[in-house]
Amino acid sequence: MSVVLAVCEQRDGVLRKVSREVVTGARRVADGLTGTVEALVLAAAPVKGTEELARFGADKIVTLTSAAFSRYAPEGFVQAIAARVKSGGYRVVLFAASATGKDLAPRVAARLGAGLAQDVTDLGVEGGALVATRPVYAGKALAKVKLTAQPGLVSLRPNVFTPVERPHPGTPETASVAVTAGRVVVKEIKPAPAGALDVAEATIVISGGRGLREPANFKLLEDLAAAFGGKAAVGASRAVVDAGWRAHADQVGQTGKTISPSLYFAVGISGAIQHLAGMRTSKVIVAINKDKDAPIFKVADYGIVGDLFEIVPKLTDEIKKLHG
Amino acid sequence: MKIAVCIKRVPDSETRVKIASDGKSLDEAGVKFVLNPYDEFAVEEALQRKEKAGTGEVAIYCLGSAASQETIRTALAMGADRGVLLQTDRVPADGFEVAKALAAELKGGAWDLILFGKMAIDDYNHQVGPMVAELLDLPCVTAVAHLALEGRTGVAEREIEGGVEVVEFPLPAVITADKGLNEPRYPALKGIMAAKKKPLDVKLVSLGAGGLELLGMAPPAERKEGKIVGEGAAAVPALLTLLREEAKVL
Amino acid sequence: MDKGAGSGERFVPARYQPPLPRDQLLIPLGTEGAGDRMELDVLIVGAGPAGLAAAIELAKLAKADGQELSIGVLEKAEALGEHSLSGAVVNPRAFRELFPDLKDSDFPFRGPVNREAVYLLTANRHWHLPTPPTMHNTSYYVASICEIVRWLGKKAEELGVNVFTGFPAASLLVEGADVRGVRTTATGLGRDGSPGPGYAAPNDLTAKVTALAEGTRGLLTQAYLEWQEVPSENPQIFALGVKEIWETKRPLDRVIHTLGWPLPNDTFGGSFLYPLEPNLVALGLVVGLDYRPLTLDVHELLQRMKGHQLFRRYLEGGELVEWGAKTIPEGGYYSLPARRSGDGVVILGDAAGFVDVPSLKGIHYAVQSGMYAARAIYAALKAGTQSGALLAEYDRLVNHSYIVSDLYKTRNMRLAFKDGFWLGGIKAALMTLTGGRFPGGPVSVERDADVPRRAVPAERFVPDGLLTFSKVDAVFKSGNATRDTIPPHLIVGKNVPREAAEFYAHMCPAAVYERAGEDLRINAPNCVDCKATDVLGPRWTPREGGSGPKYKRM
Repeated sequence: MSVVLAVCEQRDGVLRKVSREVVTGARRVADGLTGTVEALVLAAAPVKGTEELARFGADKIVTLTSAAFSRYAPEGFVQAIAARVKSGGYRVVLFAASATGKDLAPRVAARLGAGLAQDVTDLGVEGGALVATRPVYAGKALAKVKLTAQPGLVSLRPNVFTPVERPHPGTPETASVAVTAGRVVVKEIKPAPAGALDVAEATIVISGGRGLREPANFKLLEDLAAAFGGKAAVGASRAVVDAGWRAHADQVGQTGKTISPSLYFAVGISGAIQHLAGMRTSKVIVAINKDKDAPIFKVADYGIVGDLFEIVPKLTDEIKKLHG
Repeated sequence: MKIAVCIKRVPDSETRVKIASDGKSLDEAGVKFVLNPYDEFAVEEALQRKEKAGTGEVAIYCLGSAASQETIRTALAMGADRGVLLQTDRVPADGFEVAKALAAELKGGAWDLILFGKMAIDDYNHQVGPMVAELLDLPCVTAVAHLALEGRTGVAEREIEGGVEVVEFPLPAVITADKGLNEPRYPALKGIMAAKKKPLDVKLVSLGAGGLELLGMAPPAERKEGKIVGEGAAAVPALLTLLREEAKVL
Repeated sequence: MDKGAGSGERFVPARYQPPLPRDQLLIPLGTEGAGDRMELDVLIVGAGPAGLAAAIELAKLAKADGQELSIGVLEKAEALGEHSLSGAVVNPRAFRELFPDLKDSDFPFRGPVNREAVYLLTANRHWHLPTPPTMHNTSYYVASICEIVRWLGKKAEELGVNVFTGFPAASLLVEGADVRGVRTTATGLGRDGSPGPGYAAPNDLTAKVTALAEGTRGLLTQAYLEWQEVPSENPQIFALGVKEIWETKRPLDRVIHTLGWPLPNDTFGGSFLYPLEPNLVALGLVVGLDYRPLTLDVHELLQRMKGHQLFRRYLEGGELVEWGAKTIPEGGYYSLPARRSGDGVVILGDAAGFVDVPSLKGIHYAVQSGMYAARAIYAALKAGTQSGALLAEYDRLVNHSYIVSDLYKTRNMRLAFKDGFWLGGIKAALMTLTGGRFPGGPVSVERDADVPRRAVPAERFVPDGLLTFSKVDAVFKSGNATRDTIPPHLIVGKNVPREAAEFYAHMCPAAVYERAGEDLRINAPNCVDCKATDVLGPRWTPREGGSGPKYKRM
């Protein structure tokens, strides 16, 4: 019976949402191998929210505790996970390709002498083997790889494996483990610098171009961003940054930032290739422009043709209503 | 300070990606190859640390084809002292195989620091650095955007979701560099000339296939054709419905 | 025949063009401001075919003598070839002379020209013309100048030549009338000119002899010739070429040139379509910068041209892979400077004007001139001098070579077209038949900037993003990723009127200039260093190394 280990993440004693994605991916693989899913959490004490992992397919939810695990402790984590994998004969080990996961997974792989498919966007079982798809060359190509050794280690790109409810028993198990003191110690987590959210971090980005006509009109976009309640940032095309209306740090495009938000609004932006180069991997693109021939409409998933000075305020009102 | 920096020769980030007829590799016609941008931060950090310490050595290690010699020379032109090319024409898809070859070469080198870029811009693997650290049993911090060294203790800062992780570690250690760590220098004219005379050893190596097999490479799926939802402010409610129910991003 | 809007004042570009900034371009040796200094035996400015050929020949001469010369080649592009652009169909003779031990198949050419055709185009049709004698290309090779330059660069480095990419030469270092070397640009300046985090000071490179191989409309070359008042029968005149490379579904098996549409009858120019590979084609449109309509736009004409059946059938379903633009010196024999050498300096290749427009050839002249320069330089160095008297041997070699005799044969052909397409065509045919003797006598021409332009409303052009592209998208395809915050590098005249802004916006293929109401808006990072602006509008100066296009196979 193949067991798929889903290494989950917690912070300050609370389960991180990305864990649902890891368990979802694990469930998919386990079903392909006719196996089971074990969710694993490492913490100093039992973690809030782990029981929900049963909803997403975990047969077992294991919490390994150690005083060393209050924060991420790379060496201790590697020891504990590797020991469990070796003793348990796990077939597959999944991680989130989060900042922590991308750090942890390679170490576990090297400890186990196994190969690692890092940051995958698709995962499945083909002919009894684990097959993964990974973006390469900045997403300009997709590589399909087969994991030929066992266990197979994979890290899943966040925000791709949409959590799917597949309820399973989720039998909890807690055990304390002893690990040797690590040399690498996480001293603290400083909060992100206060102030506006960076365009490269935000899940929603609203960019403005020359169509805004004047720098003061960016207030319209800032109001819309505010309506999304802290998840949205305001970006800018190269033209308006060149004109001095917005900071270069907000520029989206080939010579600015390349971003991949879940939702991208291109407001009054014509859609030159150098701009598209910076945002074409956004999950959903919405274009608002008065020129129906603007190239941006070819790339956008949804578009509204018309006067942005009427459309954007209306959008802001509606979003405010949605968020109550 | 004795510092090793591991670098890679990669296609320029602006490369138009065309897949070769074998369905598995990049068509290299017209492709410009450069020093991996994340490795530039690593080389720069090594140079700065050596300069601060007053004495020491910065050695460049590279696994790749013969053409990688050019890439090593770029690092030498920046100011590194010597280079080693582990020459192989076939680099396997499994980063662990690369890590094993590098670790074998670096072992016993009595390095104060071993630096990598956090990832290569071609394969986006993000793994060789920490794997080498594991094989050499050295402390490791990845994706470092800020580094402070005080004697034999280091404090690194790395970006995580919603914050900055502050990590303390002892030397010797492995660090992988992220953007923001420093501002890499351009090679000076004298550096470019001097680079030609610096030692560059070439060792032939042969790597196993490892635990990952590349089945093929394909262009990304075309974005589905979009739709104009409507005209003017009147179209907003329809847009929101689509965003909520069809695209599921709200 | 054509009247402008009100037959009065025509727009004359020269009126708004600032003078050459001589104070910046010629500085006394020893002037403060340099960071690093380097001394060389020979300094070559520009790693194009001329510069690299000179370096290679020099290194070989020294080696044969058991000597070692320190030779440095400065190139403003980040990597070899990235600022090089040409058609190209290459005459291999100069390569054979430079590398007597190699065969044609060793050279970095793509394939021999097997078939060729010349067409006269109208909007809807094309007529096969008999190939003019000057345009016979069989026994020549289709090539990419980028590939040629990279190949030459490797050969040069193997011979111990130092090639420094990413180092533009900004000024000549002079002592009296002697050229002593160059000063490079600074790196890492902010938009306001103040040093940013990546700042590196300019470098001074001094040498016994400096070879200026800057290519078309070389800045330091202009400065030197103006400063030393070196005359020429005619001023140099230029054409602008805009070029694209396409991957095509339908193969191309011949070299094609066209005349006529889409150019107006009083405009000189034509197009080319060459197969680098059967399914990788280079095409371009070359237009004389003395064009009369104020709003003539070479990039847009090229886009329109692609819609003609002759081109469309190859390009349909294909993909635009690269785009670029460059000027070409067209003045030929009568525009050559009286001397291309002086105390401590020689001028090579396109910078000297060694281009034959009727056959569209310049690469082999560039290589040949590089070799002659190397021989003259080497002899002078052996004699322990860098004086113009000895370097004049370079002029003697060129003047007695096929470079000058070829240019002499076609000395009036381009100039004949100043009278318009049909009359010019007749004159050109007569010249061909008589080997240049009739009509003979120098045809005088004015500088391009002095040619008055007639106001003509611009046609609206909407690119489709599949066959035709906007300038901004085209610039993206040139590989240009210049730092946005770079200091502005163009010297604009004062009080530029709306008409001038309109003119510049159409003149520039890279959308550097835009008319914004009554003002001129400048998007300097778009610049691909074609130099059209330097000929007709704001003066061009070099930016930090690596700025501009990154041509791969142009």
